Amino acid sequence: MKTRFRGASKYETAICAAISIFVFLCLWELAVRTTAVGLFISSPITVIGKTLRSIVEPLGTHTIQGHVLWSLSRVAVGFVVGSVAGVVVGVLMGWYRIFEAIVRPLFEVIRPIPPIAWIPLAILWFGLGESSKYFLIFLAVFSNVTMNAYSGARAVDQTLVGAAKMLGANNRQVFTSIVLPSCVPQIFAGLQIGLGSGWATVVAAEMVRSSEGVGWVITKGQDLNNPLQILVGIVGIGVIGYILAVLMRAIEAKLCVWSERGK
Amino acid sequence: MRKKIIECSRVSKEFTTDRGTVNVLQNIDLDVYENELLVLFGPGQCGKSTFINCMAGLDIATSGHVTVNGHKVEKPGPDRGVVYQRTALFPWLTVMGNVEYGPKCRGMGKKERREKAQYYIDLVGLTGFENAYPSKLSGGMQQRVGIARAYCNEPTVMFLDEPFGHLDAQTRYLMQEELIRIWEKEKRTIVFVTNNIEEAIYLADRIVLMTNCPSTLKAEYQIDLSRPRDYTTPEFLQLREEISAVVDKSI
Repeated sequence: MKTRFRGASKYETAICAAISIFVFLCLWELAVRTTAVGLFISSPITVIGKTLRSIVEPLGTHTIQGHVLWSLSRVAVGFVVGSVAGVVVGVLMGWYRIFEAIVRPLFEVIRPIPPIAWIPLAILWFGLGESSKYFLIFLAVFSNVTMNAYSGARAVDQTLVGAAKMLGANNRQVFTSIVLPSCVPQIFAGLQIGLGSGWATVVAAEMVRSSEGVGWVITKGQDLNNPLQILVGIVGIGVIGYILAVLMRAIEAKLCVWSERGK
Repeated sequence: MRKKIIECSRVSKEFTTDRGTVNVLQNIDLDVYENELLVLFGPGQCGKSTFINCMAGLDIATSGHVTVNGHKVEKPGPDRGVVYQRTALFPWLTVMGNVEYGPKCRGMGKKERREKAQYYIDLVGLTGFENAYPSKLSGGMQQRVGIARAYCNEPTVMFLDEPFGHLDAQTRYLMQEELIRIWEKEKRTIVFVTNNIEEAIYLADRIVLMTNCPSTLKAEYQIDLSRPRDYTTPEFLQLREEISAVVDKSI
């Protein structure tokens, strides 16, 4: 069974995905129509209809895609800064023993703190504007990317390092042409997790304080006692999260043709 | 008088682990001459790889010293090429990228190093695979890339550490033939490590026999059979018998 699924074509995989989503929606619809679940939650047809309608009818000041773009732009800033910093700190920490000895204890203390725990401090430090949201997303992305880049750099094959030195590479060349490319698959795993975590954090940050974005759509739905709007926000978050993950995998497959993860 | 390329004098190597000190090499003296194909032959785990690493500069002898072309070996360097048992190709580089890596590190211009790399890729018979990644190649082809990569740096000596150990029997015979073909076209001083007696006699100008740990050199055989050699001639079989009788069988 396993081997058969491994060998499944893209086409077959897509059909399986479509079937599982469709069956889930059917069960949901059925539950709403036939049981008391309908008292608490709208039917999927209503939710999808409302989501589609919100593409033209604004929720608050923006249409749904406007809110999504707001949230995405916040994630983009935090993600870019967080992943660059994460790759640099992680790889240096994994490759240079002294850097590891100094930085790792600090990092290990900060890493387990969930980004949302920083929300009150972020607001005190950066105010209610965009900077505090960038900061929170930065934290979410940074710790994941750092951790993965670090384990990647620690796992560099010493035989390859030896081979490079035998071929005449100096220390700088070993770092740029052996250590960095060796880490790329792990770095990508970190970016993948970091992006998911950043996307989750933006919603939390927007729920605390903002006047646009998918997080706002949800909190506003709660304030207005409008579960339908909440569900529209949730659908938006799920769909965008899924699209981001697919995009990341596509980029990874391009950059890591040589490795197992790229396949 | 032939020119000495490698001179090892009283080379010893100890490893210190949690369980104490292990003496791997003990006072080894060995000279290797220019363009000689020397085979280091001995039982498994006898310190052949350690010895080759000390000569290459990947490891440093605990006492004694090694010189290559008159220079003392203290660290890895491009005048010595290594071909590894498990290929050690850079998986993120194509065949071309791997072969041109050495010249690139040493700052050779793109056009020049590409030409040089292409020459060695052609020499090892991989024309047409320049843009393939190592993971897409068979074991024998990967080892050809390893040989081309070592050659392309134009080292004074090449160390081949059981390069065909992981290949299936058929491919192994073929690669032995190929190695001799390449070496006869582009003569280099080669130190080849193996634990396979047939391979040793097929390839060697001279075989040096190593004992079990702590290793010393036990015997030396000059192999004067004409090339290409045949595994089944009486002379070949007689040598095989003679050398086998002397090898340490204990594990």
